[in-house]
Amino acid sequence: MRFTFGWLKRYLSTDWQASEIAERLTAIGLEVESFLDPEETFKKFKLVQIKRVEQHSNADRLKVCQVADAQGNEYQIVCGAQNVRENLIGILALPGALIPGSGTLLSKSKIRGIESNGMLCSLEELSLPPEGDGILDLGDDVDLSVSVGDALEFQGGIFDVSVTPNRGDCWSVKGIARDLAAAGAGGFLVPEDKIHQNSFAFSLPIHYDNSSACHKYAPVMAFGVIRDIQNGPSPKFLRSLFRSIGANSISAVVDLANFLMIDTGRPIHVYDLDKIEGDLTIRFAKNREKFVDIKGNEHVLQQDMLVAADKNDVLCLVGVMGGAKAACDHNTRNILLESALFDPIFVSRTGSFLNINSDSRARFERGIDQDSCVPGLEAIASLVMDNCGGTASSIHVVGTHSQLERTIEISKAKLSHMSGCDVQWPMAKNTLKKLGLKEVSSSTNSSVFLAPSWRADLNIEEDLIEEILRLNGYDSIQEKEFGIAAKNEDVLWKREATVIAIKRLLCSLGLSEVVSYSFLKLEHADAFRENHKLVQLLNPISEDLSTLRPSLVPSLILAAARSLNYGQTHVRICESGNVFFDSCLQETRIAALRAGDYGPRSWIGKNRKADVFDVKGDLMTALSYLNLPEHRVVIKPQAPSYYHPSRSGTVYVDRKNIGHFGELHPKINKLFSLGETLLCFELLVDKLPANRPKISNVGNKVFPRIIRDFSFVFDRAMPVGSLLHAIYGLDSTIGEANIFDLFDIDDQKKAVGITVTLEAPDRTLKEEEAKVVSDKIIKFVEETGGKLRER
Amino acid sequence: MHELDRLQASCLLEIEDCDSLRKIDLIKNAIFGKNGKLSGFLKNIKGLSDEKKREVGARANAVRAVIQERLEARSRVLEMAELDKKLAAESVDVTLPSRFSQPGTLHPLTKVIEEVAGLMSTYGFVFADGPDIESEYYNFAALNMPDHHPARTMHDTFYINTSADDKGRKLLRTHTSPVQIRAMLANQPPFRFFSIGRVFRSDYDATHTPMFNQIECLMVDDNVGFSNLKWFISGFLRKFFGAPNLQLRFRPSFFPFTEPSAEVDLNYDVVNGKIVFGSGQRWMEIGGAGMVHPNVLESGNVDPSKYRGFAFGCGLERMASLKYGVPDLRGYFESNERWRNNFGFNHATRE
Repeated sequence: MRFTFGWLKRYLSTDWQASEIAERLTAIGLEVESFLDPEETFKKFKLVQIKRVEQHSNADRLKVCQVADAQGNEYQIVCGAQNVRENLIGILALPGALIPGSGTLLSKSKIRGIESNGMLCSLEELSLPPEGDGILDLGDDVDLSVSVGDALEFQGGIFDVSVTPNRGDCWSVKGIARDLAAAGAGGFLVPEDKIHQNSFAFSLPIHYDNSSACHKYAPVMAFGVIRDIQNGPSPKFLRSLFRSIGANSISAVVDLANFLMIDTGRPIHVYDLDKIEGDLTIRFAKNREKFVDIKGNEHVLQQDMLVAADKNDVLCLVGVMGGAKAACDHNTRNILLESALFDPIFVSRTGSFLNINSDSRARFERGIDQDSCVPGLEAIASLVMDNCGGTASSIHVVGTHSQLERTIEISKAKLSHMSGCDVQWPMAKNTLKKLGLKEVSSSTNSSVFLAPSWRADLNIEEDLIEEILRLNGYDSIQEKEFGIAAKNEDVLWKREATVIAIKRLLCSLGLSEVVSYSFLKLEHADAFRENHKLVQLLNPISEDLSTLRPSLVPSLILAAARSLNYGQTHVRICESGNVFFDSCLQETRIAALRAGDYGPRSWIGKNRKADVFDVKGDLMTALSYLNLPEHRVVIKPQAPSYYHPSRSGTVYVDRKNIGHFGELHPKINKLFSLGETLLCFELLVDKLPANRPKISNVGNKVFPRIIRDFSFVFDRAMPVGSLLHAIYGLDSTIGEANIFDLFDIDDQKKAVGITVTLEAPDRTLKEEEAKVVSDKIIKFVEETGGKLRER
Repeated sequence: MHELDRLQASCLLEIEDCDSLRKIDLIKNAIFGKNGKLSGFLKNIKGLSDEKKREVGARANAVRAVIQERLEARSRVLEMAELDKKLAAESVDVTLPSRFSQPGTLHPLTKVIEEVAGLMSTYGFVFADGPDIESEYYNFAALNMPDHHPARTMHDTFYINTSADDKGRKLLRTHTSPVQIRAMLANQPPFRFFSIGRVFRSDYDATHTPMFNQIECLMVDDNVGFSNLKWFISGFLRKFFGAPNLQLRFRPSFFPFTEPSAEVDLNYDVVNGKIVFGSGQRWMEIGGAGMVHPNVLESGNVDPSKYRGFAFGCGLERMASLKYGVPDLRGYFESNERWRNNFGFNHATRE
């Protein structure tokens, strides 16, 4: 909402400065997005008259003008505009001026060898809507001593206020003034309702079915005709006013209707009566009926949209936008005026379906004054006749509006509870009255108010409490402490905390956390969906962000690709987040990716590529947070199909699949056009055991350990890692078991060195005991197909 | 006697001149060995009188002690010198890079999530969670945004290709507020919840990304007022930004799910191009708040005649950006190496 300070003062008697008004507007919830102070903006501008115009000696298109201000100071200005002429009064920007339209700082200059001491401004350069080419021409007879702001009709400054969606009434200067008055910024000036003189009876046949659904969407409509008007360019005051608030001037009648809308919030539609063929019918659109709007855009309508039509065409998409056919132009002589009430939901639905945003829609969908149909028609008829002449018909009303009396009770107690502090009751009630609410009954502790017709948003007690607190300022509410309740155990946070702790562990391994969008390109998502169905957006922002990710891996690959392109030789990243599949299932995952070298190139050791055992290690480090005993973690050589079929594994905890790791399948490299081997792990957070198992009390004494090394021969295909699990279970004295050596003997056999640590919690083990355990191990291994190696 | 003196003097001289441990052994042998100098001398005194023998013997023992002591001392010196030499030969260039592997960095959002959760917990709020894929009902209607409510147009919603159910169409939640409803339905009042998570809106330009994160909290009790809301939000933000003098401005606004509603502004100043909170008279918006609308309480199966509540929410990226000077919203999701190096956190950092 843009309006001038002068316009506001038509409804508000105040001695406040514009800056105070701006501050108060923001404080009561009508946020001032900008305030253009003409004094400040036009400090380095002045009104001047062109005294002499000469051709630039060195440029065909340039003129050299001598201009003079009110004091008679003369300036030489080089100007390229074609409309410069002697006696023209325009606006001169002096060196040092900030040009609003371009944001540039003007300086003295020489243009093709001739000194220019400023610039004659165009409307565009003043950041105002342009009217024709060239510099602004204010005429010949403007008083030069008038300030630039006044000459441009800035009337004390331009407010730009952002109105919240609940405040239809504040989409008008009148409504804003009423709020300001209720907030103590002055007195609200209630204008007298205009009654126009009618000269003949309204006779255009209007078909409106009172009993149909059309009545639901347009409960009441008022019409009037004015004949023999002089339409044409708007009166000067209106053009300047519109120019100052950045609105386009179209023609007198259209501008007057728009003026009334901004002024009072009452949208009016004006038809060129002579362009209407036959009767006017208010009806629902036919299926796929065409409608050309006032801007010339064609729309295909639906059967639930209400229109005003003549015998051949749709003339108006009521409440949303007028049509081209019966639009007024400078030749319009006879007009039909429409002032109606439309259902907000219906207007919103039609507007959003056709993607039409109009000032009318904005007001109707936020709710306009329910009682304004006839007064609005009276007002527009008077405005038209005052400015364009003509004679008016009587007012014709179709439909009825049975307005519910909205009475709302407010209690003193609720007001103080809700605010948490004492609010002066008489002051509170006075605030409501200033907003136009009528007190219909009262007791010592409560009052009943009748909500005014223009405040459809006021329905319940809380609505009134908000008005009181808002208009008296949230600042006046004192902060009040509340007790910190006895802490409940935060069960759900534990899971989040686990995810963060695991990410910290991964960071310690050199992996950096990334956060990616939850959506992917369809073909990227598709490669990771396995047997699941993908979840897709119906209205994606782009093809690249169209499908919800079924895995974190593709997100990590995309991040890795960016790193590799950046020149990173060792990509190490991780991410946590949700994945989505099968309609609306979502699961939380943690995943990591390595690509390229294991680490930075170094003089120590040999540089090597990252491999499966690095990501398996990352995964095991992540799992270490859960403190799981070894026997509960089982690895099997299988994984989803986007992994390398024989270089990947699945991790089971208590027989539940909790994650995968491995090298990615070369088809994935191909899909992402990446040459480096990609290594990943994924952890299925939702499948992890809920609690870290408590470490049982095993005493704190230690006894010497015995270490036994074995060398076995196995078939090369034997997965020996799983043997370790079995070895743990063989005897309670086996504390650690690990593989310390591994090499192929020939094509069929491999040698595996296994080291086992034996210890007891309560005694030093004897040699004989160790021998018994060793024999058990050898026997077990031989049963699985291994053989102790001959020395 | 002179002979013994001479012998001692020549031996000591020899020891003094010796420059290696191996030579010390040779010298030892040359003096005390079977055919050594001292042994040779003692062989020659067999012919002397007993008295003389005793005298010379005692003298010879003294000489032996002196020589031996010198030999040991010299050995120690030479040992030390040889060790020095050996260690010098073992030198490494300690300025060479170590085996240290640079740890990875934690994303600033994770850091801020931990900070926020920690603070929420000190005020007695517990975590509540909800799905990213929501129903129209929880995302809108339950939050007092019925169909075609103009406020819905402020949320450019992503809908998904799943058929609607009794809770309406499926969509990506546009805010974390549906968690309020889910948490209220699953618990008995009074309660204090907070939630953190991803939200989605169909908006993409320099200041909007189609995905971002919100934090949100809800307190419902039998005697909660706007004054409590102000106290909590002030305390929370002062602690979060580490600015005890931070001033807050509660500006009336409109949210369908709260009434009265407020936008919360912080005061700040720009000093040497950096934002300093808690000084100056410029205001910056940080989040939204308000008293929970009675319709929302009813959606959560809470009786609005018995309970009232407040809610507060803000954008996590904005909080992180303001606290840690992260300049560009898109950087959070672009996983750029340099951005990570600049704004990521060491995993060991805690506050």
